[in-house]
Amino acid sequence: MPEDASPDDFESGLRPLWLRAQDGDDAAYREALARIATRLRSYLRRRMQSLPDELEDLVQETLLALHLQRGTYDASVPVSAWVLAIARHKLVDLWRRRGRRDDRHDALDDVDEALLVAEPDEAETQRDLARLLQQLPAAQRQAIVLTKVEGLSVAEASQRTGASESAIKVQVHRGLKRLALLVSKPDKP
Amino acid sequence: MKTETLIDLLARGAGPAPRHAAARRLLPAAGFGLLVSAALALALIGPIPAALYATPVPWMKLGYAAALAAAAGWLTACLARPAMPAVRPRRALLAVVALMALLGVVGLATTPAGERLAALLGHSWLACPWNVLALSLPALAAALWALRGLAPTRPRAAGGAAGLLAGAVGAAGYSLSCPEASAGFVAAWYTLGVALTGGLGALLGPRLLRW
Repeated sequence: MPEDASPDDFESGLRPLWLRAQDGDDAAYREALARIATRLRSYLRRRMQSLPDELEDLVQETLLALHLQRGTYDASVPVSAWVLAIARHKLVDLWRRRGRRDDRHDALDDVDEALLVAEPDEAETQRDLARLLQQLPAAQRQAIVLTKVEGLSVAEASQRTGASESAIKVQVHRGLKRLALLVSKPDKP
Repeated sequence: MKTETLIDLLARGAGPAPRHAAARRLLPAAGFGLLVSAALALALIGPIPAALYATPVPWMKLGYAAALAAAAGWLTACLARPAMPAVRPRRALLAVVALMALLGVVGLATTPAGERLAALLGHSWLACPWNVLALSLPALAAALWALRGLAPTRPRAAGGAAGLLAGAVGAAGYSLSCPEASAGFVAAWYTLGVALTGGLGALLGPRLLRW
């Protein structure tokens, strides 16, 4: 994606990927999330100048929220509007946790996507995935490690563990939900 | 953790997105609330005489409650999803209330002048809104719980919409026990009870709908 892509280009590039992802195309989903992460980074950077160290944390939190709530996307809505509504929500949540209720709220009404500039720098947070996973209940951790880290299919993970396929799916979903909760706690690394 | 690692984790084996997420959570909540409020109304207040079901009176109330529930449920489903416009369900909700108000006004206008106040207030105007509110509480709890599993980015509005949905469900339950017969009564006091529940939902929304 060119760095100076306009918001319309962003939406028109993202939408077909996103719709394929919604239908179950994992490769399209990965590409869509990567593009979204780049946009989120620049969107949030402008609004988090007082909290630069937490930028990537919030990018990751927002990505987790997007994933857990992808069922609430409606094809009548631009994907970028849906993404930014969730990003704004997560940003407000962060400020509330930080006890900041000051004038920065003004920036929230500003949904002008023209302000978004792609920033492709690869970033990293202090969180450690292995440590986060350690905090999950065993069944959830196992389901996530097998299907999401080792890359087994749900059927293979089911055979390996003896749990039913639907149980594996439920454990993965619950585990990701708990992960989202863990990463949004201010005191946990 | 690199963000790329997280993206890999999320995308791998993700499969298709869940479909009809809002309906799949809100419909069971409304159904549960309806069962509980109907059971409470019949058990605690008692059923209206069966003969009344041969008249339009209970059907008018049930029809109003069903239309309100449909419009408020639609509104709640929109507000449960980020960036989803909510203009049309708001209009539908206003249209339902306006239609019932019109029926109430016509009903009162065709009532002899001396009996209008009695028709509007009935025997239970003081109790009706509170009964509707009380019978709505199970549905309100269920609807707010359902919303917590969705993505309301406008928590006050979403809580209010869930309250209106719950209020309509409670009104349906109460209509099984309510002896009043005039459309004016329903237009005034049922609507007030539903509005009270909506207000309660709007108060609770910002506190409970965090995600």
